[in-house]
Amino acid sequence: MSRMFKMVSLLLALCMLCGIPFVSAGAEEVIDADLTCTITLGNWPPDTAPQAEKDLFENYKAIMAKQYPNVTLVPDYYSYTLSNYVPMAKGGTAPSIFQPPFTDPQLLISQHLVGDVTDALEQFGVLDQFSPSYVEMLADENGRIYGLPRDGYVLGMHINIELFREAGLVDSDGLPIYPKTLQELAEYGQIIREKTGKAGLVFPASEAYGGWLFTNIAWNFGCVGENALEYQDEDGRWVCNFTSPECIAAMEYMRDLRWKYDILNADATTTDWAGAHSLLGTGEAAMNFAADDSVDQPTANKGLPVEDFALIPFPAGDAGRYALAGGTCYMFSPDITADQATALMAYLKILGKLPFLDDSIIAGMRADYAAKRDRGAPVIPAISAWNDAEYNAAKQAIVDEFSNVDMRLYADFFDSISEGTITLKSEEPVFAQQLYRELTAVVQRVITKEGADVEKALRKAEESFQEYLDDEINDY
Amino acid sequence: MKSAQHTGVIREYDLHAASVKAGYGVIIFLCCLTVMLAVFPLVWVILAGFKDLKEFVSSTRIIPESFSTEPFTTTWSQLGIAKNYLNSLISVAGSVACALIFNGLLGYGIGILKPRGYKVVKRLVMISLLMPATISIVPLFMNIQKFQMGNSFLPLWLSFGANAMYVILFEQFFESLPASIIEASRMDGCSQLQSFFHIVLPLSKPICAVISIFAINASWSDFLLPYLVLRGAEKQTVMVRLFVFSTEQTVNADAMMRSVVFAMIPPIILFFIFQKQLTENAVSVGIKG
Amino acid sequence: MSRQEKQIRTHAKLAGDIQSWMIMLPGLLLMTFFVWEPLFESIRMSLYKTRNVELVRFIGLDNFISVTGKDDFLQALQNTFSYTFWSLLIGFALPVLLAMLIGETTRGKGFFRTAVYLPNMLPGLAVIILWSAFFSGERSGVMNILLGKLGVLPQSYLTRAELVIPIIIVIATWKGAGATALIYMAGMSSISPELYEAAAIDGASVWRRILHILLPAIRKLAGTLLILQIISVFQIMYEPMVLTKGGPDNASLSLMQLMWQYAFGGAMNYGKASAVAVIVTLILLVMTAVYSYFNRKESDWD
Repeated sequence: MSRMFKMVSLLLALCMLCGIPFVSAGAEEVIDADLTCTITLGNWPPDTAPQAEKDLFENYKAIMAKQYPNVTLVPDYYSYTLSNYVPMAKGGTAPSIFQPPFTDPQLLISQHLVGDVTDALEQFGVLDQFSPSYVEMLADENGRIYGLPRDGYVLGMHINIELFREAGLVDSDGLPIYPKTLQELAEYGQIIREKTGKAGLVFPASEAYGGWLFTNIAWNFGCVGENALEYQDEDGRWVCNFTSPECIAAMEYMRDLRWKYDILNADATTTDWAGAHSLLGTGEAAMNFAADDSVDQPTANKGLPVEDFALIPFPAGDAGRYALAGGTCYMFSPDITADQATALMAYLKILGKLPFLDDSIIAGMRADYAAKRDRGAPVIPAISAWNDAEYNAAKQAIVDEFSNVDMRLYADFFDSISEGTITLKSEEPVFAQQLYRELTAVVQRVITKEGADVEKALRKAEESFQEYLDDEINDY
Repeated sequence: MKSAQHTGVIREYDLHAASVKAGYGVIIFLCCLTVMLAVFPLVWVILAGFKDLKEFVSSTRIIPESFSTEPFTTTWSQLGIAKNYLNSLISVAGSVACALIFNGLLGYGIGILKPRGYKVVKRLVMISLLMPATISIVPLFMNIQKFQMGNSFLPLWLSFGANAMYVILFEQFFESLPASIIEASRMDGCSQLQSFFHIVLPLSKPICAVISIFAINASWSDFLLPYLVLRGAEKQTVMVRLFVFSTEQTVNADAMMRSVVFAMIPPIILFFIFQKQLTENAVSVGIKG
Repeated sequence: MSRQEKQIRTHAKLAGDIQSWMIMLPGLLLMTFFVWEPLFESIRMSLYKTRNVELVRFIGLDNFISVTGKDDFLQALQNTFSYTFWSLLIGFALPVLLAMLIGETTRGKGFFRTAVYLPNMLPGLAVIILWSAFFSGERSGVMNILLGKLGVLPQSYLTRAELVIPIIIVIATWKGAGATALIYMAGMSSISPELYEAAAIDGASVWRRILHILLPAIRKLAGTLLILQIISVFQIMYEPMVLTKGGPDNASLSLMQLMWQYAFGGAMNYGKASAVAVIVTLILLVMTAVYSYFNRKESDWD
C-alpha cells in the first residue's frame, strides 16, 4: 500500500543531492572505534538506480566508516515482502535491516523472525520519543522493541479537480466542493459519472487493498469499540466480528456504490494501488482513497498537474470519523548481536531516521523538497512518527520554503488531523493482511454480484478468519 | 522436402474434385486466420509501447499517435536490462546443457540399460511428473541454502537436470530406438557410457532438439526460483527483472508494456534464428520416432 | 549352458548393473535434491502443525480436515475442475485441428508452423501482462476497442465470475496450442504416405482417411498429451494470480493458488499449504490411474 512509493519519492529526491557536499563537520568524528561487527543493509540502491542515489548511499557508508571504523557495511539489494522474507529469516540469510509495512511487525515478532533493538535505542536516548502507537506496533508484550518507524501516513482521499470542475462541483474560488461524508461521496460520484462519463471513485478491490480500504469505511460506519472488526475477549482470545449491523451496513454501502450509484471504475476487482493512481492521474476517475504520502503518484508519476490535484480528509460515516494511519518501519534480522544492533541504530541515525538534526539531514530534506517541486509533485508536510517538536518544526520550515501548491487544497486534510476533528486509527491489531484478504473477497462479491447476500458473505469471511485467528494465536 | 507436394491426408489425386479443392482453400484461409490470431497480440503490444500513460489509459485507438522511440529508450534505461539479457543467456545455456546430459543419462538408464531395480526409479520419476512442483519450493530453497548455492546460477542449471518430464521423453524415445543397433555397439566393445555418446545420442537429435526447446523456453521464462536464488541486481535474469518491475507499484502501465516487449524480443530472435531446426526436427521425426 | 558359464554371465550382469546405476547416479542425485527430498518434506509437513518451516507437532490429518472444510477450498476445487473442463473443451482438439490444417498445406508450411509456435516461446509472465490489457474493462481495453468497432459498448471481463476461467484458458491456449500442434504434426508425419496413397487408390474419401488412418495413428500420442494437459492445467496457478488475483470473489482461485496463499500469502502456514498440494497430487494420481486402467493395453503409463 504505502511502502514502495515512500521509498521511491525519497530516492528520487535524493538524486538532487548529487554534488552537494553534505558531510557536516560532526560527521567526520570517530564515535566508537571499538565497535566491531558486520551488518548487511537491505534496500540498498541497485546498480540500475540513478547515480546520485547510489552516491548518496555510498556517502552514508563513508560517514559510517568514519564514525565507526570497525563496522563493516555490506550492501544488499533486498526488498521486503512477507513471502520472501520468511524463508530467508529461517535460512539465516536475512539482511540485518529491512523495511516491512506496519501490517507485518506483530506477525514477525510473534513468530520470532525479527531482532530486538531495545537496548540499542536506549543507548541512543530515543526510546521515549516514539509516539506510543508506534511503540505498540513495534514491541512485543514485554515492551521489547523490534522496529523503528521510517515514516507514517494518514489515509484520506485524492481528488482530480479537472473532473470536479467538469461536473460543476467547484465553488466561486475554483476550489472543489468535495464530499464530507460517505453518503455525499456516493452522490457526488453519481453527478461526476453523469456529467463526465468517468468513474466517480476508483476502488482498488484486489488482494489486500480492497479490505484495507474497507476497514476504514467500516470504522466510519461504527465498527469500533465493541463492534470492532477484531478484538480480544476476556480470556485473551482474539475474536473477529464482521457481522455486526454496522459492518453489514458498511458492506451494503459498498454494494450500493456499484449497483445503486454505479460510480466505481470498470475493473475494480483487478485494480491495484498503482492502477488506482493511474486512473485518477489520467482523468479516468475523480476520487481515490489514498494517503498523504502518495500525492506524487497521480501528479508527478501519472501526469496530473499539481493545480488539478487535492487531498481531502477521509469522508465521515454516520457513526464515526476515522482515518487509517500507518507507514513503513525498519526491522532487523532475528540473529543480530548487541553490537550489530548498536551499529544499525548508528546507521539509521546517519540516514536521519532517528530524531536528530544535523546539517546533512537538513540539507537532505531541502533537496528532497526541491526535487519534488522540480518534477511536479506537491510539496506538503509529512506526518512525523516521532513526538519531537524541534525535529518536526524544522521539517515544517523547509516545506514552507519550497511549497508549490495552494495549501487550501490540503488544508482540511491537515487541519482535521491537527485539530483532532478526525480520529487517527492504526490498522487492525493482528494479522491485518489476512483480514484484508478475507474482506476483499466479500467486497468483490458484492460489487460483482448484484443480488449477493451481504450478511452471508460476511459470515463466511468471519468464520474463515476466526479459524485463522484460532490457528495462529488462540490455539497456538 | 519438396515444398509444393501434398504430404498430408489430401493427395495430388484429390485435387481433381472441386469440393476438395474448395476445402483446401478453406484450410489455407484458416491457417492464415490462425497466424493472425497468433501474431496480433505481439504487434499490438509493440504498438502500445509507443503510447504514453495518458494515451494508453484513455485512447480507444490501436495505432499510437506518435511513433517516437523515445518511450522505449526511456524504459530501457529505467530497466537497465542489457545486463539482465546476459544473465538470462548464461542461465539458459547452462540449463539446456544440464537438461540434456542428466535427464538423458537417466532416461538412458531406465529406457535402455534397465539394470535390476530400474522400475523403482521409473515409477518414482512418473510420480514426480504428477507432483506439483511449486509446493516443494520452500524445502528446495532450504536445500539450496544448506549447500551454499545461493546467489549463483548453479542451482538453476542443476534444477533443469532434474526434470521428470524430460526424463520420460528421453526414456520413451530411447525405447523406440532399434535395440539391435545398441546391441551391436555393445558387441563392438563399447562401454555403456560410450554407446550412449556414440550411438544413442547421435540417433537422438530430434528428441534433444525438442527438449532443448522446452528447456530454453522454461529457463528463459522461469522467475520464481531465480527470484529467490539470484539475490541482488548483479545476476538477475530478464524475467526476474520483469517480475520485480511488475511488483514495483510505481511503474506505469505503458512502461510495463514496453518491458513486456523487451522480455519478448530475445526469445523471438532466438526462435527466428533456430526456427528451422526447432520446428522441423520436432516435425520430421517426432516424439515417438 | 554350464554352471560356470551361468556364473560368468551373472557376474557380467552384475557388473553391467553397477555400471548402469553409476550412469544414472548423477540424475538420481539431482532428482533427490531438487524433487524427491523437498517433496517428501512437503508431505511430512502436511501432517504437522508448522511454524514457518519448522514442524511444531504431529497432528495427523488435522491440516487436511481444516483445509477441506473451508468454502474457499471447495470453490478452488470446483474452479480447478472448471479450468480442466474449459481447457479440454477449448484446448484439446484445437492443436489436433491445427496440426491437420497445417499438415495439409503445401506452400508456406514452414511459415505457418513458425507462426503458430511463436506464442509458445514467449514468457508466461509477459504473456499474462500483455493479455491483461486486452481484457481491461476500460474503454481503452483492446477487446473493448475491437468490439467497439462492431458497435458493442465497453464491457468488463475480469470482474465477471462466469468469464474469468474461460478467459484464462483462452490465454493459455493462445500460448500453448501451437506448440502442441507441432507435436501432433510430428506424430502425423510418421504416418507413411503410402498408406494414404493406397487408401486413395482404394477410393477412400478424405474424411475416411482422416478417420481411419490419421486419427488412429495419433491416438496414443493424444492420450499422452491429454493426461499431460490435465496434469498441467490442474496445477494452474500463476495465470490467475497475475491476471485476476483469484478474483472476483475467488471465482478464478485454483487449488495451487490456494496452496500458494496458505504458504506465501501472509498466512505462512506451510502445513496447510502442503496439505492442499498433497490433495492435488492425490487427485492427479487417481485420474492417472483411471486413465491407465482404461488404456491398459496401449498405455505404457503403468
